[in-house]
Amino acid sequence: MIRIVPFILYLFLIGMHEVIIKQATTISSVTIDLPGLLVLLVALYKPEIVSIWFGFIVGLVMAAGRPDLFGWHALAMAVLGLTAFHFRERLNLESLYAKLALIVGGILIHNTLLLIIEWGEGFFYLFLVSALPGAIYTTIGAWVFFLFKEKKITFQKIKSIF
Amino acid sequence: MNWISNLFSKHWRNIHFAIIILISLILIIGYPSLNRFISQVVLATVYYPFFKVKSSFADLSSIASERDQLQEALVEASVKLSICEEAKRENDRLQAALRFTPLAGYRLTPAKVIYISGFGRYLPVSATIDRGAKDSIFVNMPIINQDGLIGRVDSVMDNFATIQLLTDPSNRVAARLAGSREMGIVKFLAHGGMVLDNFPIHGAIKVDDTVLSSGLGGVYPAGLMIGTVAKITRPENKPFCEVKLNPAVNFRSLEELFVLRLERK
Repeated sequence: MIRIVPFILYLFLIGMHEVIIKQATTISSVTIDLPGLLVLLVALYKPEIVSIWFGFIVGLVMAAGRPDLFGWHALAMAVLGLTAFHFRERLNLESLYAKLALIVGGILIHNTLLLIIEWGEGFFYLFLVSALPGAIYTTIGAWVFFLFKEKKITFQKIKSIF
Repeated sequence: MNWISNLFSKHWRNIHFAIIILISLILIIGYPSLNRFISQVVLATVYYPFFKVKSSFADLSSIASERDQLQEALVEASVKLSICEEAKRENDRLQAALRFTPLAGYRLTPAKVIYISGFGRYLPVSATIDRGAKDSIFVNMPIINQDGLIGRVDSVMDNFATIQLLTDPSNRVAARLAGSREMGIVKFLAHGGMVLDNFPIHGAIKVDDTVLSSGLGGVYPAGLMIGTVAKITRPENKPFCEVKLNPAVNFRSLEELFVLRLERK
């Protein structure tokens, strides 16, 4: 049986990020795409069905303020989860850089999809100003996460510095 | 039934995809009411608790800043209040001064004390006022306030003048009792306070008698209030009484005073 509690916590993490943390971590309109990052991370470590359902739910959660775009967001996230899972399976991603490449690509695609879904003026401008830097910014966050997850950085090591 | 079970197990993955695509299509194509319902549920469960936390923090910080502003306002108000109280006290003093009428033939020039010297354990002995030669102030002009005689002008500069107060031991005033009209000399002893000197041992004097300037000596005009008799001692085999006086003026709180000028006719 799949334990759903961590996934519920991820959803609350997205909620907390959107409401409280996002404002503090945004650097001149460049934000961390936490929903996309979580979907990609789940796709990297969990089974396929879990990945697409989680992507689907995250899509619903992140589009809560735009009910007219619910379906598109949910579908885009589910596809993102599915695609990332298959990249992981077929390319047998093990190294840190390969995972980071998947993250940056996935976030870039997700940000681009968001721009297309919420189509407005200045697609290319927003792509350059927001989507691309956002993907890099999110990847930096993912890199820190992987360093901790793969125990390249531990709290003991940080402690020993001081 | 078996074939259904087989179908599900064989196409389990595809069924999931199909369900997701189907739900997405339903949401895309649209039942706006369904979308709004889902939106409300998500907002209420995932976002609202954090909105609540954030707004509570915002409230707390606004309360903190409001408290700071109120504290500032309180300090400002208390400063204003003390200024008002001080103004009221000054107003009372000035009103009392206005009720004070100078001696006939004299004119009053109001002045403010800007410096007092000799403050400490003992009473002050001199003061500086904000009037000087430019205000036609001259040496030896008497200084009074509504309570009585304060002293005389000792030295004059263009804009300032120094007053020798009655509390200066070297200052002496020819005085007489208001009732009996008997005379003596008022002086101030550093350790004995104000006394009436040279008053005859059998002179008619009693406690609470009023002591006024006599006008002798040419500096102080007659009739200025100096003080009241506080204590009388009549030592044996001595020609004079020892008379202690309570000064009419509080020399520790000199602020506004008047220079007494002879009116030119």
